[in-house]
Amino acid sequence: MSLYGVMAVFADSEGLVEAARGMRERGYRRMDAFSPFPVKELDGILEIPKTRLPWVVLAGGIAGAALVYGLIWYSVEIDYPINVGGRPLHSWPPFVVIAFEAGILGAAFAGFLGLLAANGLPRYHHPIFNAESFSYARGGQFYLLIEAADPKYRKGVTKGQLTRLGAEVVEEVKA
Amino acid sequence: MAEASTNSPAVLRGRHDFPEISGRIGSIVLNGRLPRHFWIAFLLCFLLVLLFLYSITYLIAVGVGAYGINVPVVWGTMISNFVWWIGIGHAGTLISAVLLLLRQPWRASINRFAEAMTLFAVAMAGLFPILHLGRPWFFYWLLPLPNVHMHWPQWRSPLVWDFAAIATYATVSLLFWYMGLLPDLAVLRDRARSRGAQLFYGILALGWRGSAFHWSRYQVVYFLLAALATPLVVSVHSIVSLDFTFAITPGYHSTIFPPYFVAGALLSGFAMVLTIAIPLRWAFSVRDMITLRHMDNAAKLMIAAGMVVAYGYVSEAFFAWYSGEPYERAMMAERALGPYSPLFWTMLGLNCGVLQLLWFRRIRRNMPLLFAIAIAINTGMWIERYIIVVTGPSRDYLPSAWGEQSLTWLDFGILFGSIGTFFALVFLFIRILPAITIFEVEELAEEEDKLR
Repeated sequence: MSLYGVMAVFADSEGLVEAARGMRERGYRRMDAFSPFPVKELDGILEIPKTRLPWVVLAGGIAGAALVYGLIWYSVEIDYPINVGGRPLHSWPPFVVIAFEAGILGAAFAGFLGLLAANGLPRYHHPIFNAESFSYARGGQFYLLIEAADPKYRKGVTKGQLTRLGAEVVEEVKA
Repeated sequence: MAEASTNSPAVLRGRHDFPEISGRIGSIVLNGRLPRHFWIAFLLCFLLVLLFLYSITYLIAVGVGAYGINVPVVWGTMISNFVWWIGIGHAGTLISAVLLLLRQPWRASINRFAEAMTLFAVAMAGLFPILHLGRPWFFYWLLPLPNVHMHWPQWRSPLVWDFAAIATYATVSLLFWYMGLLPDLAVLRDRARSRGAQLFYGILALGWRGSAFHWSRYQVVYFLLAALATPLVVSVHSIVSLDFTFAITPGYHSTIFPPYFVAGALLSGFAMVLTIAIPLRWAFSVRDMITLRHMDNAAKLMIAAGMVVAYGYVSEAFFAWYSGEPYERAMMAERALGPYSPLFWTMLGLNCGVLQLLWFRRIRRNMPLLFAIAIAINTGMWIERYIIVVTGPSRDYLPSAWGEQSLTWLDFGILFGSIGTFFALVFLFIRILPAITIFEVEELAEEEDKLR
């Protein structure tokens, strides 16, 4: 069994943030943190890149609206034009209503599916679940993971550093 | 953020640690040992579900004449039930989306069941236009599907817009709700002892592991979905009101309708939030998580929305007079003095009269009384929808074509059946999924802890 990394358990989010900052200063790069709720400070410490998902949502919205507007336009102008007292076939104001709803629908799907895709979910298994102490069962547990692939990673040294940063438990995680 | 002065009670009462929060909320679902009165209430709702199924079967077998509608009043309780249910759904979206955007911390412990309430209310609402069709099995004609008729839906019809709006609203609400559930499903997955529960929650949690990278994207998208849901909720009820205003029927044809319908939706929706939340916090002893602050704020929002509704009533009457149209004026006079006048004055008494009690803090903090007011407002709002739907066509342009409709047992069978089905779904939801958002309450508890 190869090693995926070491995981440290902290009792509160401050401990996790302190430890993540400490490990960062010691030069570790391939880290991940796990928490039962979002911890804002981690974004800066772990250098989490700004997500491009808002653009995906915008694109989904435009695509949904354009697709449905196009469908309506095709139906009234090309596929089934009905002349009602010479009124314009392409009477856009009522079409905008449906296009708006379709835009919202497209944006919501793009956001939800985009989030799952970007996060790599659904995922059947992940090495972190091999860790004995990794569980959200008790609520409020905070975890810091240093991957074995990190160039600075030295088994004993890393574990010692994590313990000194206040980890309650330090555990090896199998890949 | 959570200033606990005497004026505003704290969002969370007392001190909470994380194991306690996830344990208490999670165990409601996982232990499955719900109090006896829960199952008795569920049984009563289930009887109403049976009544609902019977009534729908009867309606489809006999035809729409079986309930009260008759020429000239061909829009009846199916339409008013629809508008009423959609309105109830809207408060859920307002709590979950708008209050999230406004960063109101008090939404955290009530947003989950408010969203569930939205979903179930929309599910109920969606049935009624279909039942109203007379031949419900042809409802798919509203969709642009390739079919042997070679026809397209009439894009210029508000009924088709309505279909698009409701379908979008239901789908977006479901996505938003499920996304909010993911982290809590992961908690339940880890807490579950039985293999079945582990599989069930494990599959639903989609492998959520709470990584900081995931949380960062999650928050961005959650906010964006909230930002999308906000204009959506306004558009949905506006489009519902266009079903009426696009007709030239007196009493329907009014520009006040879209904002007035949205405000009415919020009023009845918050009344329904209170109708569910007050028994919920009592039955499950979560009075320290769903606190007086929540009840108080919901009541304040009710009075705010209610005053806009009252303004709508006044404006409707004023413009009927100011238009100089004899038909509009006659309709308005008939609404107040004609055959439907008892209902009209009951509606005003409940929606404008009883509502004023909420100005008093002592009443807002008195749970039995607040519950009674919420029920009264729910009733008043149903009557309002009925009055709007029915009085217009009953006093149309041609006095010789005037006529009324009466309510039959089937109207009530379907209305109370749908209410029972709605509550049965709420009960099942409380049994199966965490009714309070675990991760947001934990976040809130931590923020409050830091302030101490």
